[in-house]
Amino acid sequence: MAVVSQGIRRERTAWGLLAPTLLILGFTGLLPFVYVLYVGFFDWNVFARVAQLTWAGVANYRQLVFDTDFLASLWRGIRFTLWAVAIEMVLGFALAHLLMKSFRGRGFFRAVHALPLTIAPIAVGATWRLMTLPGFGIVPYWLSRWGIDYNIGRDATQAFFTTVVMDVWHWTPFVTLTLLAGLNALPKEPFEQAQVDGAGPWYILRYLTLPLLRPVLLTALFLRIMDALRIVDEVWMLTGGGPGTATRYAGIHVWRVVFPKTDYGYGSAMSVLLLYFTIVLCWLLMTSITQARKEGAG
Amino acid sequence: MLGALSLLLAIGGVAAAAESWWAQAARPYRGVTITGISESTPPSKYMQQVLAPAFEKETGIKVQFEVTSWDQMYDKEIKDMEAGTGVYDFVYIEQDIVYAYLARNFLVDLTEFMKTHPKLVEPELEIGDFTSFINYYKSAESGDIFGIPFESFLKVYVYRKDLFENPQIRSEFKAKYGRDLRPAVNFKEYEQIAEFFTDYGKRHNMQLWGTTVTAGPHPAAFYEMVETIWPSWGVYNWGINTQTWRATTANGGALDSPRAKEAFRWWVSLLKYAPPEATNSTWDEVAASMAAGRAAQGWVYGENVAWIATDASRSRVVGKIGVALPPLYPGVINEAAKGEGYIGYYDGGALGIPHSSRKKEAAFLFIQWVARKAVQGDFAAAGARIVRTSTFDDPKVKAIDPKVDHYFTLMKTAGPLFAGAPPFPFHATIREVMLPYILKGISGELSPEAALDQAAKAVDAELSRLGYGK
Repeated sequence: MAVVSQGIRRERTAWGLLAPTLLILGFTGLLPFVYVLYVGFFDWNVFARVAQLTWAGVANYRQLVFDTDFLASLWRGIRFTLWAVAIEMVLGFALAHLLMKSFRGRGFFRAVHALPLTIAPIAVGATWRLMTLPGFGIVPYWLSRWGIDYNIGRDATQAFFTTVVMDVWHWTPFVTLTLLAGLNALPKEPFEQAQVDGAGPWYILRYLTLPLLRPVLLTALFLRIMDALRIVDEVWMLTGGGPGTATRYAGIHVWRVVFPKTDYGYGSAMSVLLLYFTIVLCWLLMTSITQARKEGAG
Repeated sequence: MLGALSLLLAIGGVAAAAESWWAQAARPYRGVTITGISESTPPSKYMQQVLAPAFEKETGIKVQFEVTSWDQMYDKEIKDMEAGTGVYDFVYIEQDIVYAYLARNFLVDLTEFMKTHPKLVEPELEIGDFTSFINYYKSAESGDIFGIPFESFLKVYVYRKDLFENPQIRSEFKAKYGRDLRPAVNFKEYEQIAEFFTDYGKRHNMQLWGTTVTAGPHPAAFYEMVETIWPSWGVYNWGINTQTWRATTANGGALDSPRAKEAFRWWVSLLKYAPPEATNSTWDEVAASMAAGRAAQGWVYGENVAWIATDASRSRVVGKIGVALPPLYPGVINEAAKGEGYIGYYDGGALGIPHSSRKKEAAFLFIQWVARKAVQGDFAAAGARIVRTSTFDDPKVKAIDPKVDHYFTLMKTAGPLFAGAPPFPFHATIREVMLPYILKGISGELSPEAALDQAAKAVDAELSRLGYGK
């Protein structure tokens, strides 16, 4: 009996300790989400003839399916995510691997490499804008010396890849540091055993490092996918979504619909769909990787 | 004893008499902090850095004056007024957004406020002394005022007087085009000048191009098109028919009309004569390009004219700037003179008080402080803005007028030919509908014609969704 009441007491204490966090999460995460979900079922434009919330049922969601601008922005965002995250994962892994080795200046390189992470996204965008501004920026200046006409205000492809490069510059250190922590935490015995058995570096990487590092890799991958899909501020500062709509990714599109256009109902529906899409994408990825792993094991 | 008492009373009386009207009126609000927001422009910075501190000193009312980007400003103030949170006690109301704010009853009726608070009305406020620009801040129904203007200016044609008057350049130009070089009065002339100076810059290895274009991926590009270029081509009210509330020509609009398409194509074609930064430029960058001497001509918001023409610390073309009316499509000036059209944009802003403010009285004192006669000369010199008719005769304005190529005189005489934005309550919403198509036309993602065809249809659909028209 005493054991049971002690258990209950311990559970209560745990909940008591968790309560402030849960309360904050409820207010900052759950409540706004429920509100956005709610608004998504209404027509609500601040400057409409009838500016009040008007029940629209699923009309906003139905409209989304045929909204070519939204779908185009979503597709652009996916392409951006694929490019940026793929490069970041490969580069981050390579750098983490490199930083596991001992070499002169390793500490300095690690510190410098992590610097972009300390810069606010809006400042990253502003810095890259200054660097790439035609007529003034250092990037167009150097490229012009090599005969390359670089102007992200005019060339959609250049603008797209500049946003990718900026994201890679900003977030690769995050992948590097995460994987570095993962590599450091790996058990040493299997590697020593493999070396004793004469396994080559490629074999070790393929059959030991990558499988053992999988949880950390997946964590970094999902975090980066989620972040990249909802990118706004950096790209906003760098290209403003242009030229034309070449870099108007889903986040920027939603922002323009919700705030300047004050179309809160439709914008909310977009936000919910974007969140749903991100979750589904990550879930599909997770499932396919887990499935492949099971099949591999089988 | 009696003598001492009377002496004390006399001192008190003198002290009271010495206290300014402002200090007396503000006495009940001393120590109060009011918060306001405005766009980061020369006039707003002048208010923030010069007028607000002086107000604090005079009245004891503290002013937290936030000056931020145009987008941020709208985002913040609309959210505040919509939610009624009361963060802001005074807000910047640009001429174009006022109709939207009025439609939502966001603002305090200042005429009514002055009736109920006569002691807070500065004796020199004189609403009749304000230029006709104040009319944009009046309710169409009651005629009551909802904002006190602190800035108004024209978007004018600015050109490099030093280049245009250079004999060598003039003879080269005449040899090439068979006519004298002068500020363009029509679009063909404008294009020739743009072409000539771009070529001239190349030949002389100069960082000089023929024109500026506000073509960055920003609403500024939309505004240049709808409020500067189209009116000068005779396409008014953004191409929207204000009777049918539709934009397609099939429904009485003009957004997809041949004239609108021709104007759009012409404007986009200017990009080949513009500095490379043009496709990244908002109004600020265009002013900067002009100040850096990178363009021979362009449309520039008047608030920038004074500093470009006079401030050597920021401008490389001090004393070299000319101002003129924009080039026009035949007949447009007559339509403007008859009040049936307009040749360009008469822009500006006022300070108003949101209903959600909890310190309306103190805020009302501040918005009057900014508009008081005594500071208008310095304010005009700093921000090239004039809101009171008496300011045109201010000695400081008269002294600076020749230095800005008589911009103030142009504003006084030709001001009525320009007009503010159409009275659209759905201003921001429809702008966001049209903007992507304008940007697609600029980038070449769509041809100008296709962009406007699609834009007109999208605007019609949105207006219908918003409850306007049939």
